[in-house]
Formats: sequence, structure tokens, C-alpha cells
Amino acid sequence: MNDSDMRSILKCVRCGTCRSVCPVFDVVGWESASSRGRMLVAHGISQGMEVDAGVFDSLNTCTTCGLCEQMCPSGASPVKVVENIRHQLVMQGKMTDAQKALRTEALEKGNTLGETKERMAWLGDSRKDVAKKADYVLFAGCLGSYRYPELTKRTFDILKKFGVTALQEEVCCGSPLLRTGSDPSDLMLKNLEQINKTGAHTVITGCAGCYTALKNDYPEDLKVVHVTEFLADRLAELDLKKLDLNVTYHDPCHLGRCNGVFDAPRQLIKSVCSLEEMKSNREKSKCCGAGGGVLKGYPELSLEISKRRVEEIPKDVDYLVTACPLCRTNLIRGGPRVEVLDIIDLLEMAME
Amino acid sequence: MQKSDLLKNLQEIVGNERISTSTAELYCYSCDASQIRGMPDFVLRPASTEQVSKIVRLANENEIPVTPRGAGTGLAGGAVPVEGGIVLDMSSMNRIMEMDLDNLQVTIEPGIVQEKLNEALEPYGFFFPPDPGSSAMCTLGGLIANNGSGMRSVKYGTTRNYVLGLEIVLADGTVINTGSKTSKSVAGYSLTDLFVGSEGTLGVITKATLKVRALPKERSVLLASFDNPELAGKAVVKVLSSGIVPSACEILDRNIIEAINTYDPHVGLPKAGAIIMFEVDGTENSVREGIEMIKDVCSSLATSIRAASDKTERDEIWAARRLVGAAVSRLDPLRTRVYVGEDIGVPLKELPGMLHKVGEISKEFNLPIMTYGHIGDGNLHTGMCIDVLDETDWDKLNKAADKIHRTAISIGGTVTAEHGVGSARAEYMGLELGKGLDVMILIKNALDPKGILNPGKMGV
Repeated sequence: MNDSDMRSILKCVRCGTCRSVCPVFDVVGWESASSRGRMLVAHGISQGMEVDAGVFDSLNTCTTCGLCEQMCPSGASPVKVVENIRHQLVMQGKMTDAQKALRTEALEKGNTLGETKERMAWLGDSRKDVAKKADYVLFAGCLGSYRYPELTKRTFDILKKFGVTALQEEVCCGSPLLRTGSDPSDLMLKNLEQINKTGAHTVITGCAGCYTALKNDYPEDLKVVHVTEFLADRLAELDLKKLDLNVTYHDPCHLGRCNGVFDAPRQLIKSVCSLEEMKSNREKSKCCGAGGGVLKGYPELSLEISKRRVEEIPKDVDYLVTACPLCRTNLIRGGPRVEVLDIIDLLEMAME
Repeated sequence: MQKSDLLKNLQEIVGNERISTSTAELYCYSCDASQIRGMPDFVLRPASTEQVSKIVRLANENEIPVTPRGAGTGLAGGAVPVEGGIVLDMSSMNRIMEMDLDNLQVTIEPGIVQEKLNEALEPYGFFFPPDPGSSAMCTLGGLIANNGSGMRSVKYGTTRNYVLGLEIVLADGTVINTGSKTSKSVAGYSLTDLFVGSEGTLGVITKATLKVRALPKERSVLLASFDNPELAGKAVVKVLSSGIVPSACEILDRNIIEAINTYDPHVGLPKAGAIIMFEVDGTENSVREGIEMIKDVCSSLATSIRAASDKTERDEIWAARRLVGAAVSRLDPLRTRVYVGEDIGVPLKELPGMLHKVGEISKEFNLPIMTYGHIGDGNLHTGMCIDVLDETDWDKLNKAADKIHRTAISIGGTVTAEHGVGSARAEYMGLELGKGLDVMILIKNALDPKGILNPGKMGV
């Protein structure tokens, strides 16, 4: 264990503040499923604790949502500790089947979904608009490419007017591997080479997972913006009409709390309709339950977390809007009373 | 009975989902927020009084220690299984059984979190007043077992004042009910009072009927700054003697002020040697009058006095104050707050002297000691941060804590005003209680002859 992780563990005074906010603990109820518990387990491992199923269940159920870190009075960093200890164990060959599957699929197929089809098929008839050189490039992401291809195409169609291109041979950004302890360097290098080839100074993404990986794990000189930030800066040029709608917004953890993008999505929503906040929002927003490998490794737990999140939808809204395909997927699983939209879907309604 | 047979029997009582023997889980239940450690053999999360009764009976027959636990937020090792055995995690028994608000009372299971109860009461205009810093995570069961209190105890008293009755599982598995639904009863010994604050050494709380109060219409916060803690202490004595009953009266010393400002820069507390945060609640008129009176009384001692401008500022100040115990860890990246010697209580007029003494002890051991706490009821939290990897720091900390404890006792005070004795302060019970401790031991032996209930705690 590195020094800063050990210091972070030692910072924890076990006050239990994280217990009161951890969405996983809220469902599971066992101490090992709280951030405080995970810090203890990480400490135990550093002291030679045997790594068994209980240890994996403790460490791997963290969605890395970061609410514990946000609320921690003593300044500990449980998410960093969890990610680093996962990495340490994977390096020793210790991982669950779910971790292994994610890694194998990402490294062998270039996506975490096990898809073998052509990744860039989402482009459809817009393929001709992919410029070789551009200042901005859209990073579609695995879910964007395979699960929401139409949305991704429509996003690109909006963006291309602003001189945005796409990558020809994009692969997974590496985020799922970073979160679950594996090394995604090969994937990152492949993406980086292509980004550099386009000459783009800025990468745009519509996925919170891709956003946090591109922003924090790729070279620092790569500028990364979320599609909502990009469009919020060009609001006047979008020619949006007002919609007679009232919507609510789910902050993706890795976009909002972890990277501070709260205002751009809200600005876009408010420019087309009224926004009513969820019970917990912005820095204190609750997780959808999908991140950190939890949807893959613990689908039932992930579903339970989502159910609790969608209970926070205000009574009189027409849609639940979000800005991440993974959140969207899991929020739909949670069975919300209203349809879940990507923010681009909402903007498109205002463009028609 | 063999451990494997015991496991089988326990599984039969609670089902496989409610018992764990995994190394990770046992390790997570081997501590609370204190420095006390003890590995359990089993962790159980019972769902009913019946299950608790069966577990305790089985444990008693086999002389297996049983340590009840709420959220494990305790600061004295009360929920730590220092002799192994079973940890009873009561947090899944968390229902509100009855909201009998016409009778100003509620009946709850022990696992409900304090703040959740208050969230449920708020729409009806009621609240449960004892509010420890850990109110967002601590359970009512733990609060009752420790007779916890918090910032509003200066006006509203401690948890004891709100417990009308308890359902208790005794060491042999018998279930008894204490108290009554009336606000007054003198029928028999007050068994309720015996179990409140007994830290799980006499029985396991499985239900509680609690008094609730109507929410005050108004609240207002006043911050009075002083050159040093002693002057602040004098001001508090003066305020309380003048007939004002603030709903909170908290001291923050220089370091604590910095810690709060670091944790939440929005709060922006004024720089001072010490601040007293007074809160007054009641009707609009009584609050205005109370605030004016406090201003008057403090004016000769304080360097500045200001009121929180609005509800948001007031709420921010309290939220930051609640978490300051841990937030002092932020002041130095290499130091961590360690809860040892942190909970003394002294008679009111001894406050300025005790504050001065804490300063001396800090100098003697060359260890910064931060002081905050519920000064209105003589309860001081002395916060020490050390490099936990440094043996010398530990030595200094333990010596300073010992001196703080002994000084408090010598002036008629207590080693623990609200956090509990647990294992951390058990060694001082003889000194503080004298022959009273012998009576405690007699009671313990009568109710738990095999000593299975939370052994190694409270000096019994």
C-alpha cells in the first residue's frame, strides 16, 4: 500500500458519517459495505488479511460515487483507497470473475460490453462528415456506440455544425478498468494516438465515466469537456424553443461531484423548460448504483440502489433527465415513474 | 458447544442472511470510533425481539459474550467485543412502531438513526431533543444505552429525560418491559433509569417508548468572541446565572474555529481566542428577549458579538459544529483526531479553572489540545490530534488524557459526561464512583451472573 493511501486510512476516525450517506450500505446494511468498513478492510489487507469472497464483496461493491469523500469530516479519501487496493489485488492476480470479464472484453474487443460489431456503425449516414482534422473530437464511448447509437448520431449531428469530428477506431476509454483495478494503458494509448492525429485540442464526451477517465487519467494537456459544457457555451447558436415541460435532473457522480460539472446541464435544461431538483442533488446527489463495476459485478445491488434513487424524483415532473448513458441505463432499470432522457433528447425536442 | 454447532444454532435463529463469520466482516466489527479493539466470532443482525431473546439465551447457556451495537459510532469501545463472541448489530431493527403524538410519545426499535426519527417527526411539528454530533448516523439504541446527549442538553437534558419505557432482553433471554406510557410513575424501582446508560451490560434494548417535544417556533444563534477560553467560561457562568436558558451553549477554541473554517469555508467564523455559540429557541418574543439578554450579559467580557444573519447561516454553523470532532483532523495532513480523554464534565463554576488547567496540560506535554463542547452543562471535549504512527505521540496523548481525567475527578467532575465509559474509561470508575462501583457490580452479577453481556465494560 502506498503512503498516501495509508495516511488516508489513518485519517479516518471511524465516525461513521459515511455510513449515513453510502448508497451501498443503505441497501446492504453490513458494516463491510460502508466506506468506513472498506477502509478497515483495506487496512486489514495491508496487515496481511486473507483475500476471500468477503473481502471482494466489501471492496467491489463500492460504486466510487464519492459521496463519502464529499461528506467525510476528517478528509479521508475512501474512493482512492478502494480503487488503489483493487488495483493492488488485481496486480497480484486476485480479482472476481466480473472484474476479469470486464478486463478481457475491454482489452480484447475494445469495449466492455462484449460487442464484436463495428464500433463506429452509429455514424450511419453521417460517416461522410467525419473530418480527418478538427479542433474538437467527439468521444462516443462504449455505451454511446453500442447501446445508444441513435442518440450518439444525433449528438454528433448537432456537434458537427461546430466543427467537431469523431474518431475512426475509438476503443473503450479505460474508465471501467481504472475503477475496477485493471490497467487500461493500451486502450488509452490507442485513443490518444487517434485524438492526436485529428489535431483536436479538445475531446467532447456525453458520458460521465469517459469524462472522468479522459480528464483525470489521460495526459494533462488534453482538454476535455462534457457535451453539456460544450453546448452551454454555444447556447445562443442552438436556436432552442421553449417546451411546456417540467423535468428533474440526475447528477452523474463522475460528472458532478467528482469533476464539478453541475451548472452546464442545468443551464441547458433551464433554457428549454423548467427544472425541479431531485431530493438530493449537486454535491450531495445520490448515485444511480451503476458505477465502479457494481452494475456488472452486483446487478441486483445496483438495481436496489437505482430504485432508491428514482424514489427521489419529484412528484410533478414529466421526465428524468441525465447526462450519462450508464446512469440512464441503470435509472431505467430502477423503474422510474417517468421516462428517462439524455439531456440531448431534451434539447432535440426544443429544436424540432 | 463447538463453534460450528453454535454457528448452526445461530443460523437457525436468524437465517443465513443475518449472520456473518467472514474475516472482512468480523474485522469491520472489531472497533468503533475509539481506540479499543476486539475481534468477534460472529456478527448477527437480528430482526426481532424474539430472535434477540433466542440468541441471548443460547449465548448464556454456552457462556458466549454478547455485545450489542448500534451504528458503532461510540467513542469509548462500548460496542467493541473485547472478549470476542457475538456482536449483535441492532441496526436493522429500525422501525418506528407507533407515533402516539397525542400522548407526546413514540415507540421505536433501537436501530433507528436519530436523524431519521426527527425527519419522521418534523412534519407533525415534533422532535426528539437529544442531538449528539453523530445524530446523522447514531442509533437511538446506542443513544439510550449510553445516555447520550449533545448540544441542546443545556436546555433539554439528556436521553434519560425522554425514555418512558423500554423492552429489554435480559441475560437469560427473558423479555421484560420497564416504565409506562405515563409521563409520571413511581411504581417500583425505576428500572428504565437503570438500563438507560448501562451500555449493554445489563440487557439488550429491543424497543423504547420515548417522549417527544413540540418543535420551537423560533431559533436564533449568537456568536460571542473572547480573547481566551477562560473569559468565555466566565461569560457562560454569568449567562446561566442570570436566568437565561439557552437551547445550546457551545465553546470553540482558536484551533476549533480554524478547523470549522477549513471544513466549511462558507461558515467563516470570526478569528478569536474562543467563541461561544449561544442558541435560543422558543416563541418569537422569548427568543428576541433571550438574545438581547445574552448580549447584555456578555458585553463586558466579549470582544465582539454577532447574530447569525439567517436560517441558512445558522444551519451551516450547526452542521459544521456537529462534525468538528473529526474535522480537526484536517488541520494537519499527518495528524489524526484520536478520541481519548475527550469527554470530561465539571461543575459550572469550575469551568474557567478547568479550561486553564487544560491549557497547562497541553503545555506540559507539548501537545496541542483543542477545546470545544457543551460548556453550558460543564461538558468539555478536549480534542487531541497526533501522528498515529508515532509511538511518542501516543505516549504523550495517553499521559495528557490521564491527567485530564484525574483533574476532572479531583474537582468534583466526571470522566465522561455523555460519550460513555466502555472499556476506554473503565479504569477510572473506582476513583470516580468509590463504593458506588461495588453496588454496580452487585447489580451486574444479579442480572447477568455469567457475565455474558458486554463484558469488559464500565468496570463491572
